[in-house]
Amino acid sequence: MKITRRDFIDYCAKAAAVLGLQSTLGPMEKALASTSGPPIIWIKGASCSGCTVSLANRVSSAAPVDLADLLVHTIDLVYHPTLMAAAGDLAVQTLRKAEAGTFVLAVEGGIPTQYGGRTCTLWTQNGVDVTALSAVQELAPKARYVLSIGTCASYGGVAGAAPNPTSIVSVSTASGLSTINVPGCPPHPDWIVWTIAQLLAGTVPALDSYRRPTALYGATVHSKCSRRSSAWATSLSQTGLCNGNLGCKGRRTYADCSTRQWNNGTNWCVGTVSAGGNGADSLCLGCTESGFPDKFAPIFSTMGALPLDHETVNPPRSSCNACHSSGRPD
Amino acid sequence: MATVTIIDPVTRIEGHMRIQVTIDTILGTLQVVDAKCTGTQFRGFENILVGRDPKDAPSLTQRICGVCPVSHALASTLALESAAGAIIPSNARVLRNLVLGANFLQSHILHFYLLAALDYVTGPASAPWTPAWNVDLMRSSSLQQICNNFVTAVSMRRLAHEMGAIFGGRLPSPTAFQAGGFTTKPTAAMVDAFASRLATLTQFITNHYVPDVKLLKSVYPDHVYFGAGPGNLLAYGGFDLNDAGSSRLFRRGLVYESAPTTVQTMASSKISEMVTHSWYADYTNGLNPANGSTVTVDPATKANAYSWLKSPRYDNAPFETGPLARMWVNGDYRGGVSVMDRHMARALEAQKIATAMSGWLNQLSIGGPVYGTYTNPSTASGVGLTEAPRGALGHWATITSTKRSPTGGPSVGNYQIITPTCWNASPQDTNGVRGALEQALIGTPVSNASQPIEVLRVIHSFDPCLSCAVHVMRPNGKPLVVRTTGAPAQS
Repeated sequence: MKITRRDFIDYCAKAAAVLGLQSTLGPMEKALASTSGPPIIWIKGASCSGCTVSLANRVSSAAPVDLADLLVHTIDLVYHPTLMAAAGDLAVQTLRKAEAGTFVLAVEGGIPTQYGGRTCTLWTQNGVDVTALSAVQELAPKARYVLSIGTCASYGGVAGAAPNPTSIVSVSTASGLSTINVPGCPPHPDWIVWTIAQLLAGTVPALDSYRRPTALYGATVHSKCSRRSSAWATSLSQTGLCNGNLGCKGRRTYADCSTRQWNNGTNWCVGTVSAGGNGADSLCLGCTESGFPDKFAPIFSTMGALPLDHETVNPPRSSCNACHSSGRPD
Repeated sequence: MATVTIIDPVTRIEGHMRIQVTIDTILGTLQVVDAKCTGTQFRGFENILVGRDPKDAPSLTQRICGVCPVSHALASTLALESAAGAIIPSNARVLRNLVLGANFLQSHILHFYLLAALDYVTGPASAPWTPAWNVDLMRSSSLQQICNNFVTAVSMRRLAHEMGAIFGGRLPSPTAFQAGGFTTKPTAAMVDAFASRLATLTQFITNHYVPDVKLLKSVYPDHVYFGAGPGNLLAYGGFDLNDAGSSRLFRRGLVYESAPTTVQTMASSKISEMVTHSWYADYTNGLNPANGSTVTVDPATKANAYSWLKSPRYDNAPFETGPLARMWVNGDYRGGVSVMDRHMARALEAQKIATAMSGWLNQLSIGGPVYGTYTNPSTASGVGLTEAPRGALGHWATITSTKRSPTGGPSVGNYQIITPTCWNASPQDTNGVRGALEQALIGTPVSNASQPIEVLRVIHSFDPCLSCAVHVMRPNGKPLVVRTTGAPAQS
């Protein structure tokens, strides 16, 4: 790993502050003092590359400040088909070399199983097409950690939506192993960077029952949304009002979008100008959740297939303040 | 003696591609004499959409591609609005153009510096830019300024997405694109925030990106003599400049290689998709997307097929689409058709779009309406034709009430998408005519057959996006019969 100890500690402290965490760097300091981080092999299954594009949107005042900083100073990304200079045999040889030692496997995209996995082949070796399925089955057991980047890799995602034409499964199902999941469609670049930083330091962060880091996915979008406890919007573009009755899935979606916001804090899906800044006034789609998109489809339905709860009784409450204050759980 | 070289994976593209080239010495020059381009992944988005609420289509189809989600979101909203006869407020049209423009700028900067340039220069001394082929044509010392701009370019494309998110909500995957209009109401502060970033980007494009491409062209002057392909250029046109749809930043039209200064009218009825060399059932061959049908076959069972991409053809001819096609059809660039002409046209197009965007900001009505009304029609079909960074993009949607969506309303009856990379990277068609990229590779001079960097240069000049080039799966083998009703497809 090419990051200095000082830089990494500094980064973790600042990242912890952003997340409202107490900095507990003891184990990481010790790990950094003794080892350098393993290289990362990043492969793609049936993906759209949105996770990589989102990662490239990384910007921060703390190291790594952007994608270039990440790749040059922080991680040893030995294989990534979108970014790497080498092609063909040289690329595959580079992957095989890393596979022979300690490495972290990152997978973006779902793993198709239809036709023996032949709807997604990753490379040719000795004249044989290697499917995403066989690549995952071969690499995952050898990896120090297996990271599922994005909702498709973590849970199947959009490519695995009904009727799942290519029989896509998650990386975990394809490999038979537990993975550390960083879902989102796409995930926020900070979620990817933070999780990788933990793993390179030898720490597996606390995970929820969907194996997402609780530091990032521990609270719902709704619980910290600035539009909470206001009257309900009756159509899109109504600044400041809660879109819960129009189809916003924030109440069932775990992610810190409402505080971290997106694209260097310029906006986020449900952002509204009454909170200061820019506002899309649109809906949370539930993209970090297992079951996205079908669990929340159609988009403009309230909570989709989930049972209705008290907030959607008829007639609807005029505001959430009747029962909820900002300190109450969602 | 001819040698066959396989490059798999082709890296520094979006998605999965395998290239097979046959290299031989002809008239004393080692060159590519045959090429086969294979799209090695698909997911089946059209099938996923069938039966769903049509209003979900913009959100789902934008996830076909993380580099061009905005184009798909736009094409989808246009298809639905065309089906329903819905009119969107002017503000929505302008906002969509601004977010689309922001994504174009992001995509082109990403493409030149992070994807294509590595065929010509050595990147930073770190993975993933090492190892690389050790080809002596990489004149890094002459191209030092491109290397110097690399880190800035990473920051500039990030800034372009930031700019687009001001109105779009977030990028990739903007939530503001919905059938009926746009969700974000523009404020003066948003316009200012967008404008200041646009100024920075325009400066970068004018002072660095365009000059860097000109420098590249001057160091590789022979790269205007290969990589042409069929020379037929197609543009659906994009960036509507008025509500009537009668004026676009890039006009709709096509030129044939045999008459390169004659721009002809595009009629979408002349588009067909051939599948003879694709992993789809032969009885679905040659359909127009308005009546499209896709039935997959196991690759192991169709010996002559070699791609998950179909072969879109216009009046049975292969066409190239992309920045060069757009700029050519619009009369803005007619330098030539080659590897280097594609890079030049892309950079100049970025400059043209950035310049236009500043004028569009002034057309926004602060606080004005952005969202009209959209209701799913009970039975209708519509088409959304627009341009993605890589070329002409079309969504053909049919809405039906014969089958109901989960909420009991009309549902998607059929949905077909033809992406620009499907045009460009298509395999041989029924008549054995190769696709644009395959043809462009033939005749490419190669200095080192075991490290054929020139092959990568031709491929990357097209800026391929293979995740877009997907088609529907029909695992049960049954064809999808579609009757179109309602408004005729736009031409």
